[in-house]
Amino acid sequence: MSDFETVIGLEVHVQLKTDSKIFCSCSTAFENPPNSNICPICCGYPGVLPVFNKKALELAVRVSLALDCAINEYIYFERKNYFYPDLPKNYQISQYKQPLAENGFIELINGSKIGVERVHLEEDAGKLIHAATASLVDYNRTGIPLLEIVSRPDIRSALEAVEYLTSLKQILQYIGASDCDMEKGSLRCDANISLREKGDKNLGTKVEIKNMNSFKGIRDALLFEEKRQKKSILEGKKILQETRLWDVDNSKTIVMRSKEEAHDYRYFPEPDLLDFAVTEDLINLERSGLPELPKDKKERFIKQYCLADGDIKVLLSALWLADFFEEAVANFNQPKQIFNWLTGPFLEQVNGLDGGFKTVGLCPAKFAKIVEYFCSDKLNNLAAKKVLAKAIVSNRDIDEIIAEEGLAQMSDSDDLTEFIHLVIEEFPKPVEEYILGKETTIQFLVGQVMKRTKGKANPKIVKSLLIDALSKLK
Amino acid sequence: MKDNFSLFGYEIAEKIKTAEVTKSEVFSWFKQRVEKLDKPLNSFVSLFDSADISEQKSLFSGLPIAIKDNICIKGKKITCASKILSNHIAAYDATVISRLKTAGLAIIGTTNMDEFAFGSSTENSCYGLTKNPWNINCVAGGSSGGSTAAVAARLVPFALGSDTGGSIRQPASFCGVVGFKPTYGRVSRFGLVAFGSSLDQIGPITTNFIDSANLLNIICGFDPFDSTSVKTIDEDFTDSLIEDCKNIKIGVPKEYFQEGLSPVCREAISAVIETFKAKGAIIVDISLPYTSYAVATYYIVASSEASSNLQRFDGVKYGARCEASTVEDMYSLTRGNNFGSEAKRRIFLGTYSLSSGYYDAYYVRALKVRRLIKNDFDKAFREVDVILTPTAPSTAFRVGEKISDPLSMYLSDVYTISANLAGLPAVSFPCGFDKDNLPIGAQLIGKEFDEKSLIRLGYSYQQNTDFHKKIPKLFGAKV
Amino acid sequence: MDRENIVDYISKLARINVSNEEKKPLESQLSRILEYVNKLKEADVTSVEPLRNLHTNNNVYRQDTVIYPFQQENILNNAPLKEDGYFKTPKVI
Repeated sequence: MSDFETVIGLEVHVQLKTDSKIFCSCSTAFENPPNSNICPICCGYPGVLPVFNKKALELAVRVSLALDCAINEYIYFERKNYFYPDLPKNYQISQYKQPLAENGFIELINGSKIGVERVHLEEDAGKLIHAATASLVDYNRTGIPLLEIVSRPDIRSALEAVEYLTSLKQILQYIGASDCDMEKGSLRCDANISLREKGDKNLGTKVEIKNMNSFKGIRDALLFEEKRQKKSILEGKKILQETRLWDVDNSKTIVMRSKEEAHDYRYFPEPDLLDFAVTEDLINLERSGLPELPKDKKERFIKQYCLADGDIKVLLSALWLADFFEEAVANFNQPKQIFNWLTGPFLEQVNGLDGGFKTVGLCPAKFAKIVEYFCSDKLNNLAAKKVLAKAIVSNRDIDEIIAEEGLAQMSDSDDLTEFIHLVIEEFPKPVEEYILGKETTIQFLVGQVMKRTKGKANPKIVKSLLIDALSKLK
Repeated sequence: MKDNFSLFGYEIAEKIKTAEVTKSEVFSWFKQRVEKLDKPLNSFVSLFDSADISEQKSLFSGLPIAIKDNICIKGKKITCASKILSNHIAAYDATVISRLKTAGLAIIGTTNMDEFAFGSSTENSCYGLTKNPWNINCVAGGSSGGSTAAVAARLVPFALGSDTGGSIRQPASFCGVVGFKPTYGRVSRFGLVAFGSSLDQIGPITTNFIDSANLLNIICGFDPFDSTSVKTIDEDFTDSLIEDCKNIKIGVPKEYFQEGLSPVCREAISAVIETFKAKGAIIVDISLPYTSYAVATYYIVASSEASSNLQRFDGVKYGARCEASTVEDMYSLTRGNNFGSEAKRRIFLGTYSLSSGYYDAYYVRALKVRRLIKNDFDKAFREVDVILTPTAPSTAFRVGEKISDPLSMYLSDVYTISANLAGLPAVSFPCGFDKDNLPIGAQLIGKEFDEKSLIRLGYSYQQNTDFHKKIPKLFGAKV
Repeated sequence: MDRENIVDYISKLARINVSNEEKKPLESQLSRILEYVNKLKEADVTSVEPLRNLHTNNNVYRQDTVIYPFQQENILNNAPLKEDGYFKTPKVI
């Protein structure tokens, strides 16, 4: 039997970053107590009507532009009818026949283009908590604006799926459309996967996988399903069109429902909302407000900073990191040094902070100054890290910290000579060893000088002064 | 003061203004009338002890008004005459209620209706049927039968109803009062429990056009909470209280005078035509060829929307609930045990019309025919200013006569449905009585947002006739 | 779909339990109504666009501001069953 090709399409839901819900003015805040961000409208009370949040449309248009989609001239909503306790009206206001935008794409790092079939707006459902004998419902999430982004079946492997998601997430975060935090549920992903013989133009029977709660989960579920389907086909079994759940504890997919049990959603145009014109003005406004997208930023970084591909990938992984980098370089034009200090000691500090980057007070200019002092031997490595630690939250004046802590590097030979002589007197044995030809002993002696200067000495100068002094003893 | 109840709303307003009576006196007159006289009618669901009357100096400040039990009044029971909402307290005021309160009207109580406005007789109510004040063996019509019966019996000067396919106009016709359905989008639907969202409209039920115009002034207008309400320039509808029909072109569509129309109604409409002619109107014969599809179109569109609108009644958030061990059974029993039989029929029909495999044949086709019906009107209104028709094929039928035959009940809305499908303003007003002394109604349908022509014609008619001054015998005596 | 199956299918889809006594009359009433509405099939709707809205391009938006114009506190209290600030339902499988 010939080789198989894996065909994957992803259906991503992201919560748009609005302050209020899509059809009522309740807050979208995440960590509030259950059922505190609710009102008669999002709880589906008798007589209520939806009113569309303009910001949700603006953000959705922004996403559509960033994904190179064609945007329809007008949009309208439809009702998707199904009973579920997390859906107060037992219908979801969504889009069906005519989505907001169609036919976009995302370019992956390997250069392949993954088509975006459609982008549409809808309202999020609530949250269910399954207790032992009952289910508990929280409607705080109900009505948060949701954007569904459906890819074409252009993805060929689990890894490519993760790359697609990484790029998508990066774009959405860059343009400020969504937090894309899978843990908080602001990004969710379902996958369709099928296999076919290589070269076959027809699609195989697809299986939908749900309940993948991390990028790792998505990768593992797709790898598992790829293997499962391959095995089935090789054993001559038919693949059934069904929906399966990723069971993370047992690392396998399990059947949720077959095609026969598929929902009859009875979509029909939402009569409570009229058409909305997606005007040229609105599109132009969003287009002009669009920040530099990851792919464009990457091109520019390569040209402007002469960094390695790998380095750029790290910098672009978060917008704030890229921005911090650029501002720091603007203050001290040594991109590689800035990069090393930023992705090394700086990130180490940030990761140690409870609130992460949000609690960083240090501004890029002061950060650049630390790196500059290091490069000009004003601070040694250890001292520079100490200053960084002192300034990371406080954003205090760098020179002030150095003075206060007495961290300025001792490079003056007169100051150091005293320490050199002290050490030579104190450690006659290593001195003798050195003189007899064991040159590595010099490191020990340098260390002792550093210790006595409390790390402030410039080790390079100490070493050369020591060699000088010892040569006189020979 | 004698016979206060027989006064029109604007006349009572005048007495309040001149300090002849106080607002609280007026409230207690009508409250007493409801307490003493409503028993045989069963037009009220709840009667309020008092009303917060703001110090507003609006013309109708202090006048009592009754509200159909499908419009939310904050802190009061809202049931839609359904077991599934029994004891549900409204969490907010409907926009029309806020507007009435701002204008200082005294909300006196809620009125009976067909469950969720499904019906044409007010027999489908969990509170029992409402009877016709002119003959208690006959129905009040529906679904706003509680409101029209209460106004006809002068238990209250006026009331609000809702009209999805004739639910204000048909009972107004049966009870001999003025029932006004404004243009779709004129009055906010926020707080009206939805039946057919693309058809529903709240409107005033009064005895006369002066009161209608004044109430329209209060309830009409754009509402930011209703995306389907329309931004129009504020109009003063009382400007159209002019007794003059000169050169107004009235179209009379032949499709409304065919088989099925009772002779007595036909004669009454002929007399209306003569009255308008005498006041200078021009009568034009017109045709609305798609009329015969209206009922079928309506039942698909309205039931489809209703089936979806009523899905929220599921026992989770409010209202009745039947406990069960699975959520599916809880839904199914809660809904199965608490929806009445007409509600079930409509939900079944609507769910079917939207379901996979039938959607195009029923729902989409109905929307296409709906466009054809609207096109009929667009075309007709290039020739005429308003359209005159009977409101219903007959006068009020007897209690129980049609309840076991849903289709014949549906056909009693045959003349009122088209105005909802096309979103047009329409009004029914009393124009005579049959040999059993049951009222007959005439209907005027206007162009989009042209309520003014209807008010002008209706006012002119009432200036020249006195059908609207008649009070049913049982209710004509002072309490 | 035959008549009997319609009622069963819709009963499931609409989550409405239909008792045995209700079933027969509902079947016959529905089929009479469906027979009547089938007259729509006679209308020539070639190249007619479905009428989705009576008014078009109304563009009624809300601004993205958090406000609570309606009573909020009693929403949970209206629930037939609640627990620890949640609405409570039978276990969803």
